[in-house]
Amino acid sequence: MPEVKYTLVLIRHGESDWNRQNRFTGWHDVPLSETGELEAAEAGKTLAKEGLQFDAVYTSVLRRAIKTAWHCMEQTNQMWLPVTRAWQLNERHYGGLTGLNKAETVAKVGEAQVLIWRRSYDIPPPEVETTSEYYPGNDRRYKALTPEQLPKTESLKLTLERVLPYWESDIKPAMQSGKRLLIAAHGNSLRALVKHLDGIPDDVIPGLNIPTGIPLVYELDEDFKPIPSADAIAPLNGRYLGDREMVEARIAGATSTGHK
Amino acid sequence: MGEKAYTLVLVRHGESTWNDENRFTGWADVPLSEAGKKEAVASGKELAAQGYTFDLAYTSLLKRAINTLWSVLEETDLMWIPVKRSWRLNERHYGALQGLNKQQTVEKHGKEQVLVWRRSYDIPPPELDEASEHYPGNDPRYKDVEKALLPKTESLKTTEARFLVEWEQNIVPDIKSGKKVLIVAHGNTLRALVKHLDGISENEITGLNIPTGVPLVYDLDADLRPVPHKDAMAPLQGRYLGDQEAIKGRILGVANQTK
Repeated sequence: MPEVKYTLVLIRHGESDWNRQNRFTGWHDVPLSETGELEAAEAGKTLAKEGLQFDAVYTSVLRRAIKTAWHCMEQTNQMWLPVTRAWQLNERHYGGLTGLNKAETVAKVGEAQVLIWRRSYDIPPPEVETTSEYYPGNDRRYKALTPEQLPKTESLKLTLERVLPYWESDIKPAMQSGKRLLIAAHGNSLRALVKHLDGIPDDVIPGLNIPTGIPLVYELDEDFKPIPSADAIAPLNGRYLGDREMVEARIAGATSTGHK
Repeated sequence: MGEKAYTLVLVRHGESTWNDENRFTGWADVPLSEAGKKEAVASGKELAAQGYTFDLAYTSLLKRAINTLWSVLEETDLMWIPVKRSWRLNERHYGALQGLNKQQTVEKHGKEQVLVWRRSYDIPPPELDEASEHYPGNDPRYKDVEKALLPKTESLKTTEARFLVEWEQNIVPDIKSGKKVLIVAHGNTLRALVKHLDGISENEITGLNIPTGVPLVYDLDADLRPVPHKDAMAPLQGRYLGDQEAIKGRILGVANQTK
């Protein structure tokens, strides 16, 4: 059994205001709903109970993930940790669908088409117009990005293509320098990470549900390969914290709350 | 004095639970009281109402400042900006007095001695022991700080010296690169900063009270010298945002307190 060299904790943020309104969100910066805030605080309490300590926190530039990170830091009494906010950890960009109500979109283009946009690995939704408020080039937080980096839409594949280079350039070196990391991010940016860590195939990953607000712990060997946990739920090698039955129910039920 | 080139905003965090209990706090990591949380939100709302925006924020490693910063970032819709935390922005360390009740300390050492420790520019309180829970060497958040730099006590003078290292090395370059900087910190580190910016004397700085939760705005020229503002309240050249009369009252009122 290889030695545990690194411990990495991932957490997907909870319900946002637009989740509640059943709208495609993507890069739009909506806050957590009250439920989402409670989920984040609960996640923090779970981390505290487990006695997990960190040296640094990574998150996206979207407030729903940042707030989730803050709750975790508060509950584990580690508010002093350095936090790195990275656009590369943002949720997948939903292109021209951003802001639209999901049910209305289904009524408009049909359920099959919407399912393709949501669950395909590499077919992105239609592009957003560069004049749109949802085009990141119009948001000053992305002013350091090149035109090539600014998405007008993304598939899960394209999301992965901007998450993984960041994993290589920033996250791995941080772990190699001895830092124990907490990453608070989004459904699709976390799908990108676990796909890479666990070698999950292209046709399996789009359907994989990472339940919100449940810490997911990875123990990695010195080559960053996950050491499969006895409590892992396939296809992941990491383990979710908390009661197993509850976790399994959440994995199965995550889609019913409207989360992607 | 030159033309305005940069804007710098300072906020002192609000009431902590130990303020409430009248205990010397220093580096002890106590949370904001409910009143302090309200002050934090109010300071954020004031900045938002007056249209302030930032590119970068600095704060200490102490949760009462961090929590205040979080409220400001949330209210101004700037949760995405980078935040730099540094021990050099921490409150002045209160040495062996940390955790003690102020009244009891007066009864033990006498009013005059306590006044010297609190209001002297360069006489620090007694040093604490390395075995103490308040010795920073025993706190994992300071594990990457050189042991020799970790204080066993501090005066305003030594606080100023270690704060100004961060100011010169990191904050000044950030301001000069054109970033709008927000600093959320503590009474004594902000005293150190305004003393430096406004050229305030050692005698005057020890009695200067910076009200909690009130944004303090400096317009700085290209050499980072303050451009005096008409609403400035001497000896500061920066101005407080909000109800000016109420703020004046608070500055005078705090003079009677002991912090």
